[in-house]
Amino acid sequence: MSALRDHLSAAGAVCRRDLALFASYRMRFVTTFFTAAVTLTLFYYISRLVHSGRVGSPNRYYAFVVVGVIILEVVTSTLATPIATLRQELLAGTFERMVLSPFGAVRCVLSLMIFPLLLSLVLAVASLAYAGLLFGLPLRWPTLPGGAAVALLAAIAFAPFGVLMASAVMLFKQTNAGATFVVTGLTLLAGVYFPVALLPGWIRWASDVQPFTPAVDLLRNLLVGTPLSEPVLVSVGKLLGFAAVMFPISLVVLGAAVRRSRRMGTVIEY
Amino acid sequence: MDRGIRGFGGTVADAEPDTIAVAGRAPVLRLEGVSKRFGSRAVLREVDLALAPGEVVAICGRNGAGKTTLLRIAAGLLIADAGSVRIAGLDPERDRRDYQRRVGLLAAGSSGLYGRLPVERHLDFCAGIALIPRRVRRAAIERATAAFDLSALRGLRVDRLSMGQRQRLRLALAFLHDPELALLDEPLTSLDEEGGELLEARLDRLRASGGSALLCAPTGEHDGITVDRTLAIDDGRLVTR
Repeated sequence: MSALRDHLSAAGAVCRRDLALFASYRMRFVTTFFTAAVTLTLFYYISRLVHSGRVGSPNRYYAFVVVGVIILEVVTSTLATPIATLRQELLAGTFERMVLSPFGAVRCVLSLMIFPLLLSLVLAVASLAYAGLLFGLPLRWPTLPGGAAVALLAAIAFAPFGVLMASAVMLFKQTNAGATFVVTGLTLLAGVYFPVALLPGWIRWASDVQPFTPAVDLLRNLLVGTPLSEPVLVSVGKLLGFAAVMFPISLVVLGAAVRRSRRMGTVIEY
Repeated sequence: MDRGIRGFGGTVADAEPDTIAVAGRAPVLRLEGVSKRFGSRAVLREVDLALAPGEVVAICGRNGAGKTTLLRIAAGLLIADAGSVRIAGLDPERDRRDYQRRVGLLAAGSSGLYGRLPVERHLDFCAGIALIPRRVRRAAIERATAAFDLSALRGLRVDRLSMGQRQRLRLALAFLHDPELALLDEPLTSLDEEGGELLEARLDRLRASGGSALLCAPTGEHDGITVDRTLAIDDGRLVTR
């Protein structure tokens, strides 16, 4: 019990450090939110042009795409930011502290995901409020806590991709292209900007083999009332399944990558 | 005792390999037959080394001789290709967490700090990942801060510190969890006289508690640090001086 408390405290220390570094740039939250607000505004005006039998009225398409954009940010928060932070740690020589700590490199890398995830959840709520207040997004406020829980579950289910990317950073140092590839793939295949039903039949399988599609489906239902494409339990089961299978695998891969880089001497390289 | 690590002179080829037997006392650090290659280059060749409790040992040698690699392997940062490394009998892989609790590494150079993070946050972060229990964490931070006279700097960001002040912080972080073995790579870099005295005082406390330290000194110009033995490393081989 005491060991668990010490580990949680260590993860908290990593999170506090990330918060302090983030807050050291005073305008960073404002500029981050501004970027999200511009995207939501842009899609509002694009949605005015959309009259589709697949998604309904312009307002319905706006609701569809806003939830897609927001959950994309939450889910990929465990991918892009931790990878960039890990790169900076390698460049600054601070990753050595993590490797040499009793908490260990693998747990430290996992802890690097906490702050970006919390920040993305805060930004998600702020973005929903922005879209609701300015553009009349028909939010279902009573189910918002459920939406936050699903977003958290989705991020956890997606985190193994981030861990695998971190493993690639340990081995190859530069994996920006890989992270971009994953995010781009999600936007195309997982129904962020358009329903997956529009995809050609031969590629539609790809929307079923990653955790993003069920997450965005559930969230759209909870936040804006879009009908579900499959039962709730099936979607939740997929998310839990991804997390249960991929997390242990990704942790083993990261541990092996750190160990290999220690053996090769590249753990101190950037 | 050897007061001050003096120049790396003489021919190390004439010297004997360091095969010290630590009479009657279990060594804090023991390296046996440690070898390491980076690609085709052999950096360490069958290095044997033992540090007795309370012993402070300096290693000098020219650039690229293998000093830093030796420290990194002893710290558990790098894995040796051959040989064994033990701290208090613990294996750096099998007993990783307990091993890391016992060792503090000061890496060479000025890296390892976050420029925009205040001193206090560095200490909090490092105490956290060192798994220092919360109930004693504050006391550990106070001790490390006092040991290197950082109290007045705690609220300052690192990028506003002088190089000497940063080195004091790096030393404080290396000693934060009260390690049994301190591995210090060029510890006097950028330190003023007072900083050197603070380090000497901290090493005295380490000695008194039965801990050991291994210092790297490329030129041997580390006056003021009292060491018990000085070894030399040349072409990856450790020899006594």
